[in-house]
Amino acid sequence: MKKTKLGEFEELVLLTVAALQAEAYGVEIKRELESRLRHSLSVGSIQSALKRMEEKGFLTSEFGDATQKRGGKRKRIYKTTSYAHKVLSEMKEVRASLWESIPVLSHELKLA
Amino acid sequence: MSLPTNIDPPNWPRRLMKFFLREEFAEEIEGDMEEVFRDNLERFSPAKARRIYAWDAIKLMRPALIKNFQRVGTFQHYAMYKNYIKIAWRNLVKKKAYSFINIFGLGLGISCCLLIFLYVQNEFSFDAYHANKERIYRVVHGEVPKDSKDGLTQCPCWVWGNAPVGAALQNEFPEIDKVVQFSGRSDILLTYGEKKYQEDGIFFMDSTAFDVFSWKVISGNPKTALAAPYSIVLTQSTAKKYFGDEDPLGKTIQGSASAGRSDKGDYLVTAVIEDIPSNSHFRFNLLLSMSTFRKAREDVFSAWGYVDFYTYFLVNDKFDEATFKNKLKDFSERHREYPESRYGIAIEPLKDVYLRTEADRQPGETGNLSNIYIFSAIGVFILFIAIINFMNLSTARSLERGKEVGIRKSIGAQRAGLIGQFLGESMIIVLISSCVALVIVYFAAPAMDALTGKDLMIWPFVTLQSIGLFLIGVIFIGLLAGSYPALVLSRFNAVKILKGITQSDRGGVGLRKVLVVFQFSLSIALIAGTLVVYLQMDHLQKRELGFDRQQMLIVDYNYDQEVNKTSELIRNELLRNKDITSVAYSRSVPGSYYPHAGTEIETPDGQKEMKGQAIFQVGLDFITHYDLKLIAGRPYSREHPMDSSTALIINESAARQYGYSNPADAVGKKFSQWGREGEVIGVVKDFNFISLHRNIEPLTLPFAAYDSRYMSVKAKSNDMKRTVAEVESVWKELVPHRPFLYSFLDDDFNKQYQSDFMFRRLFTTFACLAIFIACLGLFGLATYTAERRTKEIGIRKVLGADVQSIVGLLSRDFVILVIIAIVIATPTAWYAMDKWLATFAYKMDMQAWIFAVAGFIALSIALITISHQAIRSAFMNPVSSLRSE
Repeated sequence: MKKTKLGEFEELVLLTVAALQAEAYGVEIKRELESRLRHSLSVGSIQSALKRMEEKGFLTSEFGDATQKRGGKRKRIYKTTSYAHKVLSEMKEVRASLWESIPVLSHELKLA
Repeated sequence: MSLPTNIDPPNWPRRLMKFFLREEFAEEIEGDMEEVFRDNLERFSPAKARRIYAWDAIKLMRPALIKNFQRVGTFQHYAMYKNYIKIAWRNLVKKKAYSFINIFGLGLGISCCLLIFLYVQNEFSFDAYHANKERIYRVVHGEVPKDSKDGLTQCPCWVWGNAPVGAALQNEFPEIDKVVQFSGRSDILLTYGEKKYQEDGIFFMDSTAFDVFSWKVISGNPKTALAAPYSIVLTQSTAKKYFGDEDPLGKTIQGSASAGRSDKGDYLVTAVIEDIPSNSHFRFNLLLSMSTFRKAREDVFSAWGYVDFYTYFLVNDKFDEATFKNKLKDFSERHREYPESRYGIAIEPLKDVYLRTEADRQPGETGNLSNIYIFSAIGVFILFIAIINFMNLSTARSLERGKEVGIRKSIGAQRAGLIGQFLGESMIIVLISSCVALVIVYFAAPAMDALTGKDLMIWPFVTLQSIGLFLIGVIFIGLLAGSYPALVLSRFNAVKILKGITQSDRGGVGLRKVLVVFQFSLSIALIAGTLVVYLQMDHLQKRELGFDRQQMLIVDYNYDQEVNKTSELIRNELLRNKDITSVAYSRSVPGSYYPHAGTEIETPDGQKEMKGQAIFQVGLDFITHYDLKLIAGRPYSREHPMDSSTALIINESAARQYGYSNPADAVGKKFSQWGREGEVIGVVKDFNFISLHRNIEPLTLPFAAYDSRYMSVKAKSNDMKRTVAEVESVWKELVPHRPFLYSFLDDDFNKQYQSDFMFRRLFTTFACLAIFIACLGLFGLATYTAERRTKEIGIRKVLGADVQSIVGLLSRDFVILVIIAIVIATPTAWYAMDKWLATFAYKMDMQAWIFAVAGFIALSIALITISHQAIRSAFMNPVSSLRSE
């Protein structure tokens, strides 16, 4: 777990790639994240996160098909690696265990 | 909604992306960007989509996505440049005083240049806003000299002339499109409701005005605005003055009679125009229709001898200036009222009417081309002085940089590279200075407005062209200032330098001295110039003008006949005040406008001869009131009731004009003038009724009380304010319908010297700046020399030298230079100022002491500058300077 530095935003992007499966390319990731986070993102922020994670070995990519809407330029489809899945589930576990260790707070008691 | 496929993303961000994105990512990211752009097109306007695209493209500049630029180019050069910049910066910081002198001095020099440029640009921009400026000409009236070869009209001439010339030009020359004429400057009292103002300097203007001149019409129809009689066109600020926020169009204003031009009546506001730009050769607050004038004085519009009109015209493509001028000879001859007269006209293009006209009786102000040249020269001088500072300080410090050059050379630096380095350094300093200069200009521009009395606008001059010019100027200054140090420094022999043989100390000393002499010659010349300007202005102000002008109050009532009818009553009422010693009425007062007239007077041989002179129509008491000295005869008097129709007083010059070598002999001779006949009853000593730029002209002072415009009130009062208030209360009581407009004769007369005062202010300011910058440089040099000679001074002190001799030693060199500069500057300044004085008819004598004083001032300033440093090093303890080796 030590060496896997994964920022919060990177983690979100990585999860989105995993969720989108075959549709995971730049603009689609951006759309998906924008609709979930409810604020707009720049192409640059998505792209730099993707490139960084590809370098770290969380992602692999290959060219997909080109569309007219893209000015005839090909998409690049991203896939999560098994390493990425391992790291993501590790992080989920760490988080879950942390959540569990939070004592029940007084205001929550009242709500219940 | 279908996709608008014809809209493309903007071009420049696309190119930007191509430039910095890593090639392996380019296709994908560009595709993404384009897709996002198409999405945005569906949601937003194309403009917004483009904006988002561009902004996104800029945000793509992230470390993970951009090319590795560090690998571009060779490593070696990059490091070298970095080193150059680092060294340049260290040098700047290490020697703060020098850097300050260099940057601030140069900045000051550049800002002076820019400010003067602003002023000069403003002078050259006069009338340039007229869309037809290339096609507008005006008529000047003069005479064809008897001995003229080409038969053309020459100056002395007047712009002011007759009316029928306009119609004649229009009818006889197909190359003339439109003629526009307007009256001489008039005055009118306007009343709208409670508001009542006297408007000075207005014109009766032809309806073609807006076809020829490009004044912006805000409301109203420019074609018809000036057509009907009693139409009035207001400028925006005048409209505001009378109507506030109301719409003035279609309202009526009551106007008084305008003497000799129109009867009183109700004027209809037909148009409002923007205020006339300050760079116009004539300006006004309002225009009245020429047909108003025509209605009152139909006769003068066909009289070739009646002078009251300015004639401008617009030409078409068929016009050729040279051919047209040739036709004017015939034209003039055809239209002479009397065949024996030599009347003729000439033309002036609009671009010449402000700066290059010789004609008199202008409709407005004129500029002065030689002042522009003088100030441009001063601007360049100041810049040179600042550049010389830079060169001197850089070469003087060359020794310190010598070791650096030696090491650079020994590890393989080429001479070209070194020249580049030092030129680059000076370029950096000049760049910083020019930024300083821009800041100074920004803050000093209002002061410059006050100095010149003009509205200098900065922003109109900030154009692509002027910015380019400025940058070229900066590069030029950088090259000029940096080239000499660069050449000297790069020439050093590496071996000798590193061995410790100082060759550089001698190098450049000669040139440095020459430059200091040059600097100081300029400064001394400017100081001498300032002194001459001051003395001459003082001379003008102190000179006896031949009439009384102390505590003289002038009330302008603009020929109001109600006032002229009750003039005696007002006079008696005022004289009851013990502070008021005398009251007189006249059409003109010294320094004000006066007409010219032809007069026939008997010459010594008994013939009556017709000659033209200036004319002051005066009331009964004018001669005694102004304390004009009578050489012979008597003043107008209440005891001679016939004076009002049969008497005339003339001045000495007029008497001489008719051939009386003894002016007193003219008394008793017959005259006829403007339909009157009688005898000359007195001759007054010449007095300066106009500015001392001009000689005293012949003048007649006919008695015409009912033509008066001004009331002069002489007071002997310790409290002028109270006296003015007392005069005003009498006026309010006796002349309730007319505002009380007063001024002091002294001020009015001095208004004629307004441009001279401006000249003096500008000259003084820039001369002071010049000497300041020169001293800044001298200070730097002195500091440097003292520093360099610390050890020498230490040894001298150990050996017994006293403070005096050391101060002398350190100052001697500079003092010699300044003395040489005095020798050079004196004749140059003498010559230049003699030229300037030639523009005055009454000038002071140029005296040698002025230059001695100028030299002394320069020398003392230089000494004060140096001595600070010299004394400091002379008092230094030799132990501290000799301790370290």
